[in-house]
Amino acid sequence: MAPPSETSQPRLAAGCRWGGTDQDRMILFPEGAIKLQGTGRQVLERCDGTRTFSEIITELQKEFGTTDPEKIRSDIGVFLEQLQRKRIVDY
Amino acid sequence: MALMVSQALALIAEITHRCPLHCVYCSNPLELAAVESELSTSEWTDVFQQAGKLGMLHAHFTGGEPLARADLTELISAARSAGLYTNLITSGIGLNEGRLQGLVNAGLDHIQISFQDSREGPANWIAGAKAHAHKIELSREIRKHKIAFTVNLVVHRQNLDHLEEMIAFIEQLNPERVEIAHTQYYGWALANRAALMPTREQLNRAVTIIADAEKRLAGRMRIDSVVPDYYAKYPKACMGGWGRRLILINPSGKVLPCHAAEVLPGLTFENVREKSLVWIWQESSSFQRFRGEAWMPEPCRSCERRTEDFGGCRCQAFLLAGDSKATDPACSLAPAHSVVESAVRKANSGAAISEPASSTSFVQLQKLTGDLWNYRTNPQ
Repeated sequence: MAPPSETSQPRLAAGCRWGGTDQDRMILFPEGAIKLQGTGRQVLERCDGTRTFSEIITELQKEFGTTDPEKIRSDIGVFLEQLQRKRIVDY
Repeated sequence: MALMVSQALALIAEITHRCPLHCVYCSNPLELAAVESELSTSEWTDVFQQAGKLGMLHAHFTGGEPLARADLTELISAARSAGLYTNLITSGIGLNEGRLQGLVNAGLDHIQISFQDSREGPANWIAGAKAHAHKIELSREIRKHKIAFTVNLVVHRQNLDHLEEMIAFIEQLNPERVEIAHTQYYGWALANRAALMPTREQLNRAVTIIADAEKRLAGRMRIDSVVPDYYAKYPKACMGGWGRRLILINPSGKVLPCHAAEVLPGLTFENVREKSLVWIWQESSSFQRFRGEAWMPEPCRSCERRTEDFGGCRCQAFLLAGDSKATDPACSLAPAHSVVESAVRKANSGAAISEPASSTSFVQLQKLTGDLWNYRTNPQ
């Protein structure tokens, strides 16, 4: 498996959903949960199955206003790929 | 009250001990809860509300066979309303298209179906019931719904020789996750340990086969598997530690830190019919019993691994070494480690793999296999 393509539409996998409180947002999945803060939370909140990977990156590059937009793309790609292998995200 | 109590995360709702199967590796206690003692729908609903308020995240519906409860759909709905993620751990017996749709509508998030083998004869022999064909049909039905699907494959000496075939079989069922669960020795599985313990050779082959399958299936299927603790160097962090993450409530409302804890002497377990869940979790003597480090003997007390594995499993320490405080005998550093070494030696000294038996009746099957193992019976 590879990181998401530009036109893929990342989304939570079947049976995976948001939970926890407003402060401590979590993704709940079979027999587990991950707490999401900061960047991770912002990425996954945009994985709604309609935004493309490309759109998500563009939004976050603007949001973080960094000098290294390519690093954002590759970091987020790696992050989503890891979650895909755990079957928490699909794209 | 100096001990820091951690956040309870998972509620194991053992809603009944009734079950249509008789699996020889079952981890239920040998003494099963009587049917009349089972908590009612409204009692369970109240429990889920309490669990949600306690900040718990997951409810695992199990048993026996949870589908044996006619009110399961209501229970799932109640757990969901209380804010819990719902996992159903089941054989699938008692589930058809309509009932599955009902559970999905009620908010079921995840279903885990157990499989005993890839081959029908052996699968039914291990379960003591003709369940295999139905499970296959059910798996197809599950794929039509947007819930998470896990296949739990229970492995042991009698089926490890065809692990590759079993993995290939499971791939066709197309779950997102596969758990390759080496039998653990509690309850019925402990009684039948001699027939279930794999050889070292079987285990080593399994490790390689599973590693290969993980690579091949990466991105498609997630494989979870742990080396059985009898063969490991250090013990497992049982349940994530005593009273750290997990609460189990048995069919009659008894609150336990795990499924085996009733075997431990000198502990009084509370009941949800009498006390609140928050009090039981935070203050009851049974849940406090093995929290922190003050209870630990050496070598655990000065061991650098004590915050990782908490000295292993208390129930196993009692069952194998006669002392619930002792270092889990599965640990290579345990004073009682020779008990585990001896069981391993026995498993590796030419203990045979048996031919699957079949018969038209369960009673006859029990007679045919009497020398090999005891099938799990049903509660009165």
